Amino acid sequence: MLAITNLVTQFASIKALDDISFQAKPGLITTVIGANGAGKSTLLRTISGLERPSSGSITWFDEELTHKSVEAIVRSGISQVPEGHAVISQLSVAENIELGGLFRRRIARGDLATATKEVYELFPILHERRNEPAGSLSGGERQMLAISRALVSRPKLLLLDEPSLGLAPLIAAQIISAINELCRSTGLTVLLVEQNANTALAVADHGILLALGKVVANLPAKEMAADSSLRAAYLGY
Amino acid sequence: MTPFLTAFFSGTAQGAIYALVSLGLVLVWRSAGVVNFAQMGQAMFTTYIASQLIQHSYSYWSAFLIALISGAALGALVDLGLMRPLTSRKNSQLLNSQSMRTTIPVIASLGILGVLKALAGIFWAGEERGFPSPVAPNAIKIGDTSLAITGFDLFVIGVVFLTLVLTTIFFTKTGMGLAMRASALNPEVTRLSGIKVGSVRTLGWAISGIASSLAGLLVTPRTNLSPNTLDLLLIIGFTAAVVGGLSSLAGSVLGGFILGYVISFVNVYSAPENVFIAILAFLLLALFIRPQGILGSKEVRSV
Repeated sequence: MLAITNLVTQFASIKALDDISFQAKPGLITTVIGANGAGKSTLLRTISGLERPSSGSITWFDEELTHKSVEAIVRSGISQVPEGHAVISQLSVAENIELGGLFRRRIARGDLATATKEVYELFPILHERRNEPAGSLSGGERQMLAISRALVSRPKLLLLDEPSLGLAPLIAAQIISAINELCRSTGLTVLLVEQNANTALAVADHGILLALGKVVANLPAKEMAADSSLRAAYLGY
Repeated sequence: MTPFLTAFFSGTAQGAIYALVSLGLVLVWRSAGVVNFAQMGQAMFTTYIASQLIQHSYSYWSAFLIALISGAALGALVDLGLMRPLTSRKNSQLLNSQSMRTTIPVIASLGILGVLKALAGIFWAGEERGFPSPVAPNAIKIGDTSLAITGFDLFVIGVVFLTLVLTTIFFTKTGMGLAMRASALNPEVTRLSGIKVGSVRTLGWAISGIASSLAGLLVTPRTNLSPNTLDLLLIIGFTAAVVGGLSSLAGSVLGGFILGYVISFVNVYSAPENVFIAILAFLLLALFIRPQGILGSKEVRSV
């Protein structure tokens, strides 16, 4: 279980995360929604070690993460798909995927081949275009590639930062449903940050609503989706 | 021999050296994203070490090997002692803009160049001295005609191609090579892939340090060794790297040979004092026609 307790992350004097606490249960999809600037990306970047919290704790099955390096956090089974379809555009599709499993090439070579085969089965278009530079992919394909790069590391916890951002609705739905299926079939824990609350709450088990760095609602996804007053107050529709 | 052939052979021989310098620059560029102006300083310093050892009656090849190891150590030291602290997160306020992040290491490398020259001056009194070559620099003969190329030149050309092949295999066929390219292109995504970007970069600096040492050891039999003799080489090597495409290993070697021909043909058909103008004119021309370099790839633009 991912447990976040009294987490504060500041940039100079601004508290991007202001005393946040919540838990994400294993094998389920927890979504973090909120408007622009609510602190969603900062939350994921703090969990993955890219930002250092000024206080509070983050534990993954009782293992404290706040003092670990980014690389050590990935190696303990937590993989982040950063915002903006982050792939390395000058490398080929296959190289981007290889990169994700590179750190365990000595300890698990056999499984690496299986994991690579699995992501190609999940997103067959990537297999077709495996020798092309990642920069030549469409936005949706790049997002698929970014997710694949994270998946070949065999994460227990997948952190997704706005996977639907900038994608056509149909493509976004396809990607979200692929993640949903993956979670249900493999027991992967997912923390899904989304601005598009409807899409996210439709697949998630649990919802966390952030506003200006604070948790303002922590509810089962169905209840959150049904609460029109929350939506009106914090998401503006 | 005709002037044309003289220019051709001597251009090939000089070009091999420029190719080696340019290859060293591209190695750091591809693994750490830094243009390392200290490179010829490192080359000069480690060649002095070899020279000292030879004076103390070590054999040429053991001095050669120790110089290469010192080159690796010096490269790693530059990264650990300076580049890494300069770009660490504690300084992130200063390093908030991308332009500062890329500029600071370049300026720091100029600083290291100065320090290495000063140290060489202190340790070895800045004296100019000769440096031996491992292969006798006798002109190769076909029948009775001596070509403007020596056995040593052929040795250098061989070393350049061997280095090119080894580094290309390393970068494109090994996991560590992939990690190195990824670290330079996008450190954040690479770290999020579980790769220790810091260690990978240090290794890149060490490998480039070896290439620099090699260049120093192979050029000084012809130029002699002093704290300043290798400055011109850096300028030519840098031009070669830019002309060939800063991101391409093969391009850097090609650029080196092209520069060798440009310089040697200007020397033979024009006058030695026009060489500098020719280098600059050639650089500008290359940048106008193909700004990404001969073998460099265009930045892929996302849509």
